[in-house]
Amino acid sequence: MASVSASHLILFIASLVIAAGVAGTFTQGISRLSDGIDDQSLEVSEEVRTDIEVISDAGSPVYNNSTNTVTLLVKNTGTADIPADSRFIEILVDGRYRTNVTITVVDGETWQPNNVIRLEIGGADLSPGDHRVKLIVNGDEEVFRFRT
Amino acid sequence: MAEVSLLGFSVSGSAAIIFVGIFLAFSSAYTASANGFERVTDAKSTVDDEALERQNTALSITNASYDAGTDTLTIDVVNEGTTDLSVDATDVLVDNTYRTNFTVRTVDGDNSTDLWLPGERLHLEVNATSQPNRVKIVSGPGVADAEVI
Repeated sequence: MASVSASHLILFIASLVIAAGVAGTFTQGISRLSDGIDDQSLEVSEEVRTDIEVISDAGSPVYNNSTNTVTLLVKNTGTADIPADSRFIEILVDGRYRTNVTITVVDGETWQPNNVIRLEIGGADLSPGDHRVKLIVNGDEEVFRFRT
Repeated sequence: MAEVSLLGFSVSGSAAIIFVGIFLAFSSAYTASANGFERVTDAKSTVDDEALERQNTALSITNASYDAGTDTLTIDVVNEGTTDLSVDATDVLVDNTYRTNFTVRTVDGDNSTDLWLPGERLHLEVNATSQPNRVKIVSGPGVADAEVI
């Protein structure tokens, strides 16, 4: 009889340990998932709020032949602040990624909604003809076409 | 009898532990997904509002003239939409150069207001040393108008 109750005790403890393990793993997994959803929703809402617009006048020259520089004015027409830093703005000129970019906020300190930045893309060396610049900020893409 | 109750408790005890675990896990998962969903819905509704505002915005340059004698470029823009615009958020591009130093910037004669209401005329005067070719006015929501001088 004693051996039966001892084995029952062992089974009892084992079942509790296993249950605790299962519950712990489950809770941990779900909490990781929750953290992921939290981060993702923050990112998605930022992406949704981000909206930019190239306001440069394509009817006026945007390319400076002597300095090989393309100058674009970009307005933040969304509702989110965007860091005015080339690390957050991907710039492609005729499909080629550009890193030689100077960014200045022309009407304020930071690139808040309604503010405008000036993008100076150096070393562009464009031949006469049609060209396009693509800007990607937080998943928002903007294409600007011009002629040199 | 004692063994039976111990066995019975082992089943119900472990079930309780698992139940509590699942309960805790789902409560945190629910909070996270509800917060996340709300955040994204908020962002979407703000963007929808902005889009509506953009649709209701219209402006038109009624006059853009250059006076070589005073080196002044005069621009008159009328808010032809149904949204109130901000004077500060309005951008002026003269030959693709962003201009900030206005000599005169008034809405229907008032230079202290930031509101540019439907039907009102924004009068701008900027210094220009030579005759500019094109002028572009961009409103806060991004709706623009350009004019050849």
